Amino acid sequence: MDSFWGNIFRQREKEEEGIRYILRRIPVFKGLNRKELAAVERILYRREYKSGEIIFHQGDPAAGMYIIEKGKVQVVFEPTQQVIAELHDGDFFGELALLDDSPRSATVIARMDCKMLGFFQSDLLDLIERTPRLGVKIVMRLLTVIGERLKKSNEQVQALQIKLYNLKQKRQNIAGSGS
Amino acid sequence: MMEATLRRWVKTMLIVLMVIGVLVFLVAIGDLVKLVIISALLAYILDPLVTLIESNGINRTPATAILFAAIALILGLILILLMPLISAELFEMSNGIDPEKVQQAFTRLDNSIKEALAFLGIPDLHLSDRLSDTVVQFGNSLFSNLFDVFSVFTNLVLTPFIVFFLLKDSRSIKKYFISLVPNRYFELTCNLIYKMDVQLGNYLRGQILDALVVGILSIIALWLLDVKNALFIGTFAGIANVIPYIGPLCGAVLGVGLSLLETGDLMFALYIALAFGVVQLIDNAVLQPNIVARNVDLPPLAVLLVVIIGGKFFGILGMLLSVPVTAIVKVFLQEGIHIYRQYHFT
Repeated sequence: MDSFWGNIFRQREKEEEGIRYILRRIPVFKGLNRKELAAVERILYRREYKSGEIIFHQGDPAAGMYIIEKGKVQVVFEPTQQVIAELHDGDFFGELALLDDSPRSATVIARMDCKMLGFFQSDLLDLIERTPRLGVKIVMRLLTVIGERLKKSNEQVQALQIKLYNLKQKRQNIAGSGS
Repeated sequence: MMEATLRRWVKTMLIVLMVIGVLVFLVAIGDLVKLVIISALLAYILDPLVTLIESNGINRTPATAILFAAIALILGLILILLMPLISAELFEMSNGIDPEKVQQAFTRLDNSIKEALAFLGIPDLHLSDRLSDTVVQFGNSLFSNLFDVFSVFTNLVLTPFIVFFLLKDSRSIKKYFISLVPNRYFELTCNLIYKMDVQLGNYLRGQILDALVVGILSIIALWLLDVKNALFIGTFAGIANVIPYIGPLCGAVLGVGLSLLETGDLMFALYIALAFGVVQLIDNAVLQPNIVARNVDLPPLAVLLVVIIGGKFFGILGMLLSVPVTAIVKVFLQEGIHIYRQYHFT
């Protein structure tokens, strides 16, 4: 009997440790101590999705972010059906929904059986109210992540602008040499 | 094809049977359901206070215990300080009303109605007999509800017990119910719960704060007019204010009626009516727009109907709870439909 209960508790501890290991690797939760990670873990929703199942649709109201505990998903831009990204174990998506209420910008589909962790805006707000120090830490990390993405996007836009400028120059040169 | 249709039929029938079974079971344990609903409402109203205590670095269970200790202290103080005053007022009131005077007043009223509406051929109305019958019936139901040993036990012991555990485990309970929702409705459910929480939380807490302020304002107004039972009438007006449209009227009728029966001074009764009018004006112009969420407003006819239905099935408590329960249903449907339309389901 002891070993039966022992096994159950060991299994649960293993799962919790597994979730904390994943959370530690997510930039949004970086630098949180054991107790803080446990507080975050308590407000996460564990969901399981079958291969081919849609996690959310482009245009749906956004409620929160997802962390892939196990599995693979594809981020699809619906109008063109173009796969924008493929995400795996430990990756996360939809984090913008934690800060604003704008609709989902893409559709996410499970490409194999997935175990996910949902982290919702309402729970983040509740966490900020209950434990402001932890809440602010998460929001600051979230802003850093989004800031980094914005920086990257700016760099890409700048690179594209330079490309466009060069192309325009080339076209002018060709037109000049032609006349 | 046939097999699939049959299977779907069997599944639907099983679900319908299960729903009927659950409903029958809930009706059978009606008292307990009523208790759980009241406890859930109380827990919901108290939840932000536990969160406030938690924000000081205290865990949920001790935070809930601290809140309970604080409430016990406040209730104890009210019992020690206010109850003797209110009961003295009630005693004075029962002594102050002369039964003969009341009988005469009703006979006069009876006769004047009969004379005014003589062309309709109305026989004796026996208003005083009807009133005394109603009072006896009301008293009996109140007495049986308040002093039934089982209900005293359940109300005093079980309610705080259920409220405590609902408050302590509110997040786990919410998480458990959300875990039962299929994936395709998961985000919708989370969104719906959040939106409902924001609207209902503001509405219910606003109503309570509003009732408290109206109660205090009524007591002050009646005290300034030197009305004998200011504390009792004001408290009643505050509690009744939870029921829109009907509640404020009940408070005013009680105040005016009691003063008429006690003093018979029409001018004085008019002043009291005016005082209630001013309190209602302040409530409608200043308090309600700032405290109570407007989008949960219920149409007057709906309020009247649900209060009658609530009163019919669950007595005074039903009348008080019918409006917030209807507000919950309204917000659920309103938000549910609005959010459902925004989602794609494939």
